[in-house]
Amino acid sequence: MEKKIKVKICIGTLCYVMGGSELQLLEEHLPEELKKRVDIEGSICLGFCNSNEDEKPPFASVNGKCVSRASITKLINQIKKELEDGLH
Amino acid sequence: MGSNTFIEVDSYQFSKNGTHVCGDVFLSRKVKDENRVIAILSDGLGSGIKANVLATMTASMALNFTIENQPIQRTAETIFNTLPVCGTRKIAYATFTIIDIDCDGETRIVEYGNPSCMIFRRGELFHPEWKQIAINRKDTRDKSMFITSFISEKEDRIITFSDGISQSGMGTKNMPFGWGINDINKFAKNQIQRNENISASALAKNMVMQAWKNDLMKPKDDTSCGVIYFRNPRRMLLLSGPPYNSENDKKLASIIESFPGYKVVCGGTTSQIISRELNKDIQVGLSPNILGLPPESKMEGVDLLTEGILTIGKVSEILENYNGEDINQDSPAHKIVKMFFESDEIDFLIGTRINNAHQDPSLPVELEIRRSVVKKIIKLLEDKFLKKINLEFI
Repeated sequence: MEKKIKVKICIGTLCYVMGGSELQLLEEHLPEELKKRVDIEGSICLGFCNSNEDEKPPFASVNGKCVSRASITKLINQIKKELEDGLH
Repeated sequence: MGSNTFIEVDSYQFSKNGTHVCGDVFLSRKVKDENRVIAILSDGLGSGIKANVLATMTASMALNFTIENQPIQRTAETIFNTLPVCGTRKIAYATFTIIDIDCDGETRIVEYGNPSCMIFRRGELFHPEWKQIAINRKDTRDKSMFITSFISEKEDRIITFSDGISQSGMGTKNMPFGWGINDINKFAKNQIQRNENISASALAKNMVMQAWKNDLMKPKDDTSCGVIYFRNPRRMLLLSGPPYNSENDKKLASIIESFPGYKVVCGGTTSQIISRELNKDIQVGLSPNILGLPPESKMEGVDLLTEGILTIGKVSEILENYNGEDINQDSPAHKIVKMFFESDEIDFLIGTRINNAHQDPSLPVELEIRRSVVKKIIKLLEDKFLKKINLEFI
Protein backbone atom coordinates (compact mmCIF):
# COMPACT_ATOMS: atom_id res chain seq x y z
CA MET A 1 0.00 0.00 0.00
CA GLU A 2 1.09 3.52 -0.76
CA LYS A 3 2.67 5.41 2.10
CA LYS A 4 0.62 8.38 3.21
CA ILE A 5 1.86 11.95 3.21
CA LYS A 6 2.23 13.13 6.80
CA VAL A 7 1.20 16.70 7.56
CA LYS A 8 1.91 18.20 10.98
CA ILE A 9 0.29 21.46 11.94
CA CYS A 10 1.93 23.42 14.72
CA ILE A 11 -0.54 24.46 17.39
CA GLY A 12 2.05 26.30 19.49
CA THR A 13 1.06 29.74 20.67
CA LEU A 14 2.97 31.72 18.08
CA CYS A 15 1.85 29.73 15.04
CA TYR A 16 -1.69 29.66 16.34
CA VAL A 17 -2.00 33.44 16.63
CA MET A 18 -0.21 33.98 13.31
CA GLY A 19 -2.91 32.05 11.41
CA GLY A 20 -2.23 28.44 12.33
CA SER A 21 -5.71 28.17 13.79
CA GLU A 22 -7.10 28.21 10.22
CA LEU A 23 -4.80 25.38 9.18
CA GLN A 24 -6.73 23.02 11.41
CA LEU A 25 -9.43 23.16 8.74
CA LEU A 26 -7.05 21.74 6.14
CA GLU A 27 -8.84 18.42 5.92
CA GLU A 28 -12.11 20.04 4.87
CA HIS A 29 -10.37 21.86 2.05
CA LEU A 30 -8.44 18.93 0.65
CA PRO A 31 -9.53 17.83 -2.85
CA GLU A 32 -11.31 14.45 -2.74
CA GLU A 33 -8.50 12.61 -4.50
CA LEU A 34 -5.98 13.73 -1.87
CA LYS A 35 -8.02 12.98 1.23
CA LYS A 36 -7.13 9.30 1.43
CA ARG A 37 -3.46 9.91 0.75
CA VAL A 38 -2.79 12.34 3.58
CA ASP A 39 -2.54 12.01 7.37
CA ILE A 40 -3.07 15.27 9.23
CA GLU A 41 -2.17 15.74 12.84
CA GLY A 42 -1.54 18.58 15.26
CA SER A 43 1.80 19.09 16.88
CA ILE A 44 3.26 20.79 19.89
CA CYS A 45 5.67 23.57 18.79
CA LEU A 46 7.77 22.18 15.94
CA GLY A 47 10.65 24.41 16.99
CA PHE A 48 10.93 26.27 13.67
CA CYS A 49 10.08 29.63 15.24
CA ASN A 50 13.18 29.80 17.39
CA SER A 51 15.63 28.07 15.05
CA ASN A 52 15.03 29.85 11.79
CA GLU A 53 15.44 33.61 11.69
CA ASP A 54 14.42 34.10 8.07
CA GLU A 55 11.23 32.10 8.02
CA LYS A 56 7.96 33.31 9.48
CA PRO A 57 5.12 31.49 11.25
CA PRO A 58 2.68 29.84 11.00
CA PHE A 59 4.64 26.67 10.46
CA ALA A 60 3.62 23.22 9.38
CA SER A 61 5.57 20.27 8.09
CA VAL A 62 4.83 18.00 5.16
CA ASN A 63 6.72 14.71 5.34
CA GLY A 64 9.11 16.41 7.75
CA LYS A 65 9.80 19.35 5.44
CA CYS A 66 9.20 22.77 6.96
CA VAL A 67 6.51 24.95 5.38
CA SER A 68 6.67 28.54 6.61
CA ARG A 69 3.99 31.23 6.32
CA ALA A 70 1.74 28.25 5.80
CA SER A 71 -1.71 28.63 4.31
CA ILE A 72 -4.16 25.98 3.23
CA THR A 73 -3.31 26.57 -0.46
CA LYS A 74 0.39 26.41 0.25
CA LEU A 75 0.01 23.15 2.13
CA ILE A 76 -2.09 21.58 -0.62
CA ASN A 77 0.54 22.56 -3.19
CA GLN A 78 3.26 21.09 -1.03
CA ILE A 79 1.29 17.86 -0.62
CA LYS A 80 0.85 17.61 -4.40
CA LYS A 81 4.55 18.22 -4.88
CA GLU A 82 5.41 15.47 -2.38
CA LEU A 83 3.11 13.07 -4.21
CA GLU A 84 4.73 13.87 -7.58
CA ASP A 85 8.24 13.54 -6.14
CA GLY A 86 7.19 10.19 -4.72
CA LEU A 87 6.46 8.96 -8.27
CA HIS A 88 9.93 9.68 -9.61
CA MET B 1 -9.00 20.88 63.48
CA GLY B 2 -5.49 20.87 62.03
CA SER B 3 -4.06 22.50 59.00
CA ASN B 4 -5.19 19.78 56.64
CA THR B 5 -8.83 20.78 56.86
CA PHE B 6 -10.21 22.89 54.09
CA ILE B 7 -13.19 25.15 54.64
CA GLU B 8 -15.35 25.21 51.54
CA VAL B 9 -17.76 28.12 51.34
CA ASP B 10 -20.31 28.46 48.57
CA SER B 11 -23.78 29.78 47.92
CA TYR B 12 -26.57 29.73 45.41
CA GLN B 13 -29.54 32.01 44.92
CA PHE B 14 -32.60 32.89 42.89
CA SER B 15 -34.29 36.28 42.73
CA LYS B 16 -37.97 36.72 43.37
CA ASN B 17 -39.93 36.05 40.22
CA GLY B 18 -39.96 39.16 38.04
CA THR B 19 -37.00 40.92 39.65
CA HIS B 20 -33.60 41.02 38.06
CA VAL B 21 -31.59 41.77 41.17
CA CYS B 22 -31.53 39.59 44.26
CA GLY B 23 -32.38 41.20 47.57
CA ASP B 24 -30.31 38.62 49.47
CA VAL B 25 -26.55 38.99 49.61
CA PHE B 26 -24.06 36.32 50.56
CA LEU B 27 -20.48 37.46 51.11
CA SER B 28 -17.48 35.49 52.23
CA ARG B 29 -13.89 36.39 52.85
CA LYS B 30 -10.80 34.51 53.81
CA VAL B 31 -8.51 36.55 56.06
CA LYS B 32 -5.21 35.06 55.05
CA ASP B 33 -2.95 36.46 57.76
CA GLU B 34 -5.17 35.14 60.53
CA ASN B 35 -6.25 31.99 58.70
CA ARG B 36 -9.84 32.94 59.29
CA VAL B 37 -12.99 32.52 57.19
CA ILE B 38 -15.96 34.83 57.48
CA ALA B 39 -19.31 34.43 55.71
CA ILE B 40 -22.30 36.74 55.82
CA LEU B 41 -25.87 36.31 54.61
CA SER B 42 -28.15 39.32 54.56
CA ASP B 43 -31.74 39.63 53.37
CA GLY B 44 -32.85 43.18 52.63
CA LEU B 45 -36.35 44.42 53.27
CA GLY B 46 -38.55 44.16 50.19
CA SER B 47 -37.16 42.98 46.87
CA GLY B 48 -35.29 44.22 43.84
CA ILE B 49 -32.77 47.03 43.87
CA LYS B 50 -33.95 48.51 47.16
CA ALA B 51 -33.52 45.21 48.98
CA ASN B 52 -30.20 44.61 47.28
CA VAL B 53 -28.83 47.95 48.44
CA LEU B 54 -29.91 47.26 52.03
CA ALA B 55 -28.50 43.74 51.98
CA THR B 56 -25.24 44.75 50.29
CA MET B 57 -24.65 47.53 52.82
CA THR B 58 -25.48 45.25 55.72
CA ALA B 59 -23.34 42.39 54.47
CA SER B 60 -20.30 44.55 53.72
CA MET B 61 -20.51 46.34 57.06
CA ALA B 62 -20.97 43.07 58.94
CA LEU B 63 -18.03 41.57 57.09
CA ASN B 64 -15.65 44.44 57.65
CA PHE B 65 -16.60 45.01 61.29
CA THR B 66 -16.16 41.31 61.95
CA ILE B 67 -12.72 41.33 60.35
CA GLU B 68 -11.83 44.21 62.67
CA ASN B 69 -13.15 42.21 65.67
CA GLN B 70 -15.70 44.87 66.62
CA PRO B 71 -18.14 43.84 69.37
CA ILE B 72 -21.31 42.48 67.82
CA GLN B 73 -23.65 44.93 69.52
CA ARG B 74 -21.78 47.90 68.15
CA THR B 75 -21.70 46.27 64.71
CA ALA B 76 -25.45 45.75 64.74
CA GLU B 77 -26.20 49.26 65.96
CA THR B 78 -23.93 50.86 63.40
CA ILE B 79 -25.63 48.86 60.66
CA PHE B 80 -29.12 49.89 61.74
CA ASN B 81 -28.16 53.52 62.10
CA THR B 82 -26.57 53.59 58.67
CA LEU B 83 -29.21 51.83 56.58
CA PRO B 84 -31.46 54.15 54.58
CA VAL B 85 -35.05 54.19 55.76
CA CYS B 86 -37.54 52.61 53.36
CA GLY B 87 -39.89 55.25 51.96
CA THR B 88 -43.03 53.12 52.11
CA ARG B 89 -42.43 51.10 55.25
CA LYS B 90 -40.64 53.80 57.27
CA ILE B 91 -38.08 51.44 58.74
CA ALA B 92 -34.52 50.49 57.91
CA TYR B 93 -34.28 46.75 57.97
CA ALA B 94 -32.09 43.95 56.72
CA THR B 95 -31.38 40.63 58.41
CA PHE B 96 -27.95 39.16 58.84
CA THR B 97 -26.15 35.99 59.74
CA ILE B 98 -22.45 36.25 60.53
CA ILE B 99 -20.34 33.10 60.56
CA ASP B 100 -16.79 33.63 61.77
CA ILE B 101 -14.37 30.69 61.84
CA ASP B 102 -10.81 31.00 63.10
CA CYS B 103 -7.81 28.79 62.41
CA ASP B 104 -8.52 26.37 65.27
CA GLY B 105 -12.06 25.73 64.11
CA GLU B 106 -13.52 28.02 66.78
CA THR B 107 -16.79 29.04 65.14
CA ARG B 108 -18.99 31.92 66.14
CA ILE B 109 -22.40 32.49 64.60
CA VAL B 110 -24.56 35.56 65.10
CA GLU B 111 -28.07 35.64 63.72
CA TYR B 112 -30.50 38.46 63.39
CA GLY B 113 -33.82 37.96 61.62
CA ASN B 114 -32.77 35.06 59.38
CA PRO B 115 -34.03 31.51 59.84
CA SER B 116 -31.71 29.71 62.24
CA CYS B 117 -28.90 27.95 60.43
CA MET B 118 -28.50 24.17 60.45
CA ILE B 119 -25.32 22.51 61.60
CA PHE B 120 -24.67 18.91 60.61
CA ARG B 121 -22.13 16.73 62.37
CA ARG B 122 -21.60 13.08 61.34
CA GLY B 123 -24.84 13.14 59.37
CA GLU B 124 -27.01 14.38 62.27
CA LEU B 125 -28.22 17.82 63.27
CA PHE B 126 -25.98 19.38 65.88
CA HIS B 127 -27.48 21.86 68.31
CA PRO B 128 -25.02 24.18 70.01
CA GLU B 129 -26.26 26.39 72.81
CA TRP B 130 -27.61 29.77 71.62
CA LYS B 131 -27.61 32.91 73.71
CA GLN B 132 -29.99 35.76 73.18
CA ILE B 133 -28.64 39.29 73.00
CA ALA B 134 -30.93 42.31 73.11
CA ILE B 135 -30.44 45.14 70.65
CA ASN B 136 -31.39 48.65 71.28
CA ARG B 137 -33.84 49.65 68.57
CA LYS B 138 -37.39 50.85 68.73
CA ASP B 139 -38.68 50.62 65.19
CA THR B 140 -39.10 46.87 64.81
CA ARG B 141 -40.33 43.93 66.79
CA ASP B 142 -37.09 42.09 66.08
CA LYS B 143 -35.15 43.12 69.14
CA SER B 144 -32.79 40.25 69.68
CA MET B 145 -29.85 38.56 68.09
CA PHE B 146 -28.81 35.00 68.75
CA ILE B 147 -25.24 34.01 69.20
CA THR B 148 -23.44 30.72 69.60
CA SER B 149 -19.89 29.46 69.51
CA PHE B 150 -18.51 25.97 69.21
CA ILE B 151 -15.48 24.14 67.88
CA SER B 152 -16.02 22.80 64.38
CA GLU B 153 -14.88 19.32 63.49
CA LYS B 154 -13.86 17.85 60.20
CA GLU B 155 -16.85 16.94 58.00
CA ASP B 156 -19.10 19.47 59.76
CA ARG B 157 -21.46 21.50 57.60
CA ILE B 158 -23.11 24.81 58.39
CA ILE B 159 -26.11 25.69 56.23
CA THR B 160 -27.56 29.17 56.35
CA PHE B 161 -30.50 30.33 54.27
CA SER B 162 -32.90 33.20 53.77
CA ASP B 163 -36.62 33.03 54.51
CA GLY B 164 -37.19 32.55 50.78
CA ILE B 165 -36.24 28.91 51.45
CA SER B 166 -38.23 28.32 54.63
CA GLN B 167 -41.33 30.05 53.25
CA SER B 168 -41.08 28.54 49.77
CA GLY B 169 -44.22 26.78 48.66
CA MET B 170 -46.39 28.86 50.98
CA GLY B 171 -49.98 28.85 49.83
CA THR B 172 -49.63 25.72 47.71
CA LYS B 173 -51.75 22.68 48.42
CA ASN B 174 -48.80 20.56 49.56
CA MET B 175 -47.33 23.04 51.97
CA PRO B 176 -49.86 25.71 52.89
CA PHE B 177 -47.51 27.21 55.49
CA GLY B 178 -44.34 26.86 53.44
CA TRP B 179 -41.57 24.32 53.42
CA GLY B 180 -40.93 24.65 57.17
CA ILE B 181 -37.82 24.10 59.23
CA ASN B 182 -38.53 20.43 60.00
CA ASP B 183 -38.88 19.43 56.38
CA ILE B 184 -35.85 21.51 55.42
CA ASN B 185 -33.85 19.66 58.07
CA LYS B 186 -35.03 16.35 56.68
CA PHE B 187 -34.20 17.40 53.13
CA ALA B 188 -30.67 18.50 54.04
CA LYS B 189 -30.07 15.36 56.10
CA ASN B 190 -31.23 13.24 53.23
CA GLN B 191 -28.94 15.07 50.80
CA ILE B 192 -25.96 14.39 53.06
CA GLN B 193 -26.91 10.76 53.65
CA ARG B 194 -27.27 10.13 49.95
CA ASN B 195 -23.86 11.63 49.21
CA GLU B 196 -21.67 12.08 52.25
CA ASN B 197 -19.08 13.97 50.20
CA ILE B 198 -21.55 16.43 48.72
CA SER B 199 -19.76 19.73 48.15
CA ALA B 200 -20.88 23.03 49.63
CA SER B 201 -21.73 24.33 46.17
CA ALA B 202 -23.86 21.30 45.23
CA LEU B 203 -25.71 21.29 48.55
CA ALA B 204 -26.46 25.03 48.36
CA LYS B 205 -27.71 24.62 44.81
CA ASN B 206 -29.91 21.61 45.66
CA MET B 207 -31.52 23.47 48.55
CA VAL B 208 -32.35 26.48 46.40
CA MET B 209 -33.57 24.32 43.51
CA GLN B 210 -35.95 22.46 45.85
CA ALA B 211 -37.33 25.78 47.16
CA TRP B 212 -37.74 26.89 43.56
CA LYS B 213 -39.75 23.76 42.81
CA ASN B 214 -41.84 24.31 45.96
CA ASP B 215 -42.71 27.72 44.57
CA LEU B 216 -43.73 26.08 41.27
CA MET B 217 -40.69 27.59 39.53
CA LYS B 218 -41.75 31.14 40.30
CA PRO B 219 -39.99 32.15 43.53
CA LYS B 220 -42.20 34.34 45.68
CA ASP B 221 -39.21 35.82 47.48
CA ASP B 222 -35.47 36.10 47.04
CA THR B 223 -34.14 32.64 47.80
CA SER B 224 -30.58 32.04 48.97
CA CYS B 225 -28.55 29.36 50.63
CA GLY B 226 -24.93 29.43 51.80
CA VAL B 227 -23.04 26.33 52.90
CA ILE B 228 -19.78 25.93 54.77
CA TYR B 229 -18.17 22.51 54.67
CA PHE B 230 -15.06 21.46 56.63
CA ARG B 231 -13.30 18.74 54.71
CA ASN B 232 -10.12 17.19 53.37
CA PRO B 233 -8.55 19.44 50.80
CA ARG B 234 -8.76 18.35 47.17
CA ARG B 235 -5.54 19.21 45.46
CA MET B 236 -4.51 20.33 42.00
CA LEU B 237 -1.18 21.11 40.38
CA LEU B 238 -0.81 23.51 37.48
CA LEU B 239 2.48 23.56 35.67
CA SER B 240 3.33 26.16 33.10
CA GLY B 241 6.54 27.30 31.53
CA PRO B 242 9.97 25.74 31.14
CA PRO B 243 12.31 26.10 34.15
CA TYR B 244 14.79 28.96 33.88
CA ASN B 245 17.58 26.48 34.43
CA SER B 246 17.19 23.37 32.36
CA GLU B 247 18.86 21.48 35.22
CA ASN B 248 15.49 21.72 36.93
CA ASP B 249 13.68 19.84 34.14
CA LYS B 250 14.07 16.57 36.05
CA LYS B 251 12.69 18.12 39.23
CA LEU B 252 9.66 19.39 37.30
CA ALA B 253 8.98 15.94 35.91
CA SER B 254 9.33 14.18 39.25
CA ILE B 255 6.99 16.66 40.96
CA ILE B 256 4.26 16.02 38.43
CA GLU B 257 4.79 12.29 38.56
CA SER B 258 4.32 12.06 42.32
CA PHE B 259 1.57 14.66 42.82
CA PRO B 260 -1.72 13.49 44.39
CA GLY B 261 -4.66 15.21 42.66
CA TYR B 262 -5.48 16.89 39.37
CA LYS B 263 -2.47 17.58 37.17
CA VAL B 264 -2.57 20.20 34.45
CA VAL B 265 0.22 21.30 32.14
CA CYS B 266 -0.14 24.52 30.14
CA GLY B 267 2.38 25.08 27.40
CA GLY B 268 3.87 23.21 24.48
CA THR B 269 7.49 23.42 25.53
CA THR B 270 6.66 22.47 29.10
CA SER B 271 4.74 19.44 27.82
CA GLN B 272 7.71 18.46 25.67
CA ILE B 273 10.04 18.63 28.65
CA ILE B 274 7.78 16.37 30.69
CA SER B 275 7.29 14.03 27.77
CA ARG B 276 11.07 13.76 27.36
CA GLU B 277 11.85 13.34 31.06
CA LEU B 278 9.12 10.81 31.77
CA ASN B 279 9.45 9.15 28.38
CA LYS B 280 5.75 9.42 27.59
CA ASP B 281 4.23 10.32 24.22
CA ILE B 282 2.06 13.35 23.57
CA GLN B 283 -0.98 12.93 21.34
CA VAL B 284 -2.06 16.21 19.83
CA GLY B 285 -5.66 16.67 18.85
CA LEU B 286 -6.99 18.94 16.15
CA SER B 287 -10.23 20.67 16.90
CA PRO B 288 -10.76 23.88 14.98
CA ASN B 289 -11.89 26.96 16.83
CA ILE B 290 -12.93 26.01 20.34
CA LEU B 291 -13.55 29.59 21.42
CA GLY B 292 -10.36 30.71 19.75
CA LEU B 293 -8.05 28.44 21.70
CA PRO B 294 -5.54 25.87 20.46
CA PRO B 295 -6.70 22.30 21.09
CA GLU B 296 -5.69 20.18 24.06
CA SER B 297 -3.35 17.22 23.89
CA LYS B 298 -3.09 14.01 25.86
CA MET B 299 -0.40 12.35 27.89
CA GLU B 300 -0.62 9.37 30.20
CA GLY B 301 -0.56 10.47 33.84
CA VAL B 302 -1.59 14.06 33.16
CA ASP B 303 -5.24 15.10 33.40
CA LEU B 304 -5.06 18.00 30.97
CA LEU B 305 -2.43 19.25 28.55
CA THR B 306 -3.04 22.60 26.88
CA GLU B 307 -1.32 25.40 25.02
CA GLY B 308 0.27 28.04 27.28
CA ILE B 309 -0.29 31.75 27.35
CA LEU B 310 -3.50 32.04 25.26
CA THR B 311 -5.23 29.40 27.36
CA ILE B 312 -4.02 30.90 30.63
CA GLY B 313 -5.14 34.34 29.48
CA LYS B 314 -8.59 32.92 28.74
CA VAL B 315 -8.71 31.25 32.17
CA SER B 316 -8.00 34.61 33.78
CA GLU B 317 -10.77 36.22 31.72
CA ILE B 318 -13.31 33.53 32.67
CA LEU B 319 -12.47 33.81 36.38
CA GLU B 320 -12.70 37.58 36.26
CA ASN B 321 -16.13 37.59 34.61
CA TYR B 322 -17.52 34.61 36.51
CA ASN B 323 -20.74 35.32 38.26
CA GLY B 324 -22.03 32.03 39.58
CA GLU B 325 -23.33 30.63 36.29
CA ASP B 326 -22.86 27.00 35.28
CA ILE B 327 -19.89 26.33 33.04
CA ASN B 328 -21.03 24.40 29.99
CA GLN B 329 -18.39 25.22 27.42
CA ASP B 330 -15.80 22.61 26.67
CA SER B 331 -12.69 24.60 25.74
CA PRO B 332 -9.38 23.75 27.43
CA ALA B 333 -9.60 27.00 29.43
CA HIS B 334 -13.09 26.13 30.71
CA LYS B 335 -11.84 22.68 31.69
CA ILE B 336 -9.09 24.26 33.78
CA VAL B 337 -11.61 26.56 35.46
CA LYS B 338 -13.84 23.58 36.30
CA MET B 339 -10.87 21.80 37.87
CA PHE B 340 -10.06 24.94 39.89
CA PHE B 341 -13.61 24.96 41.20
CA GLU B 342 -13.41 21.30 42.17
CA SER B 343 -10.13 21.83 44.04
CA ASP B 344 -9.38 23.53 47.34
CA GLU B 345 -5.65 23.70 47.37
CA ILE B 346 -3.92 24.57 44.14
CA ASP B 347 -0.17 24.46 43.58
CA PHE B 348 1.22 26.61 40.81
CA LEU B 349 4.68 25.67 39.60
CA ILE B 350 5.66 28.30 37.07
CA GLY B 351 8.72 28.17 34.85
CA THR B 352 10.22 31.55 34.16
CA ARG B 353 12.11 31.00 30.93
CA ILE B 354 10.96 33.49 28.28
CA ASN B 355 10.01 32.30 24.83
CA ASN B 356 11.95 34.61 22.51
CA ALA B 357 9.59 34.05 19.63
CA HIS B 358 6.81 35.67 21.67
CA GLN B 359 8.67 38.94 22.06
CA ASP B 360 8.48 39.93 18.36
CA PRO B 361 6.88 43.40 18.28
CA SER B 362 5.23 42.68 14.93
CA LEU B 363 2.90 40.03 16.42
CA PRO B 364 -0.79 40.77 15.76
CA VAL B 365 -1.79 40.12 19.38
CA GLU B 366 -0.12 40.99 22.61
CA LEU B 367 1.23 37.92 24.31
CA GLU B 368 1.35 38.67 27.99
CA ILE B 369 4.12 37.57 30.26
CA ARG B 370 3.19 34.30 31.91
CA ARG B 371 4.23 35.42 35.34
CA SER B 372 1.88 38.41 35.42
CA VAL B 373 -1.14 36.46 34.12
CA VAL B 374 -0.54 33.71 36.66
CA LYS B 375 -0.35 36.26 39.46
CA LYS B 376 -3.66 37.72 38.34
CA ILE B 377 -5.27 34.26 38.31
CA ILE B 378 -3.91 33.54 41.78
CA LYS B 379 -5.30 36.78 43.15
CA LEU B 380 -8.73 35.96 41.72
CA LEU B 381 -8.65 32.40 43.07
CA GLU B 382 -7.69 33.62 46.52
CA ASP B 383 -9.97 36.63 46.82
CA LYS B 384 -12.99 35.67 44.77
CA PHE B 385 -13.03 31.88 45.16
CA LEU B 386 -11.29 31.46 48.55
CA LYS B 387 -8.85 28.86 47.27
CA LYS B 388 -5.64 28.04 49.07
CA ILE B 389 -2.75 28.69 46.71
CA ASN B 390 0.91 27.74 46.75
CA LEU B 391 3.05 29.46 44.17
CA GLU B 392 6.57 28.51 43.24
CA PHE B 393 8.69 29.85 40.42
CA ILE B 394 11.22 27.49 38.94
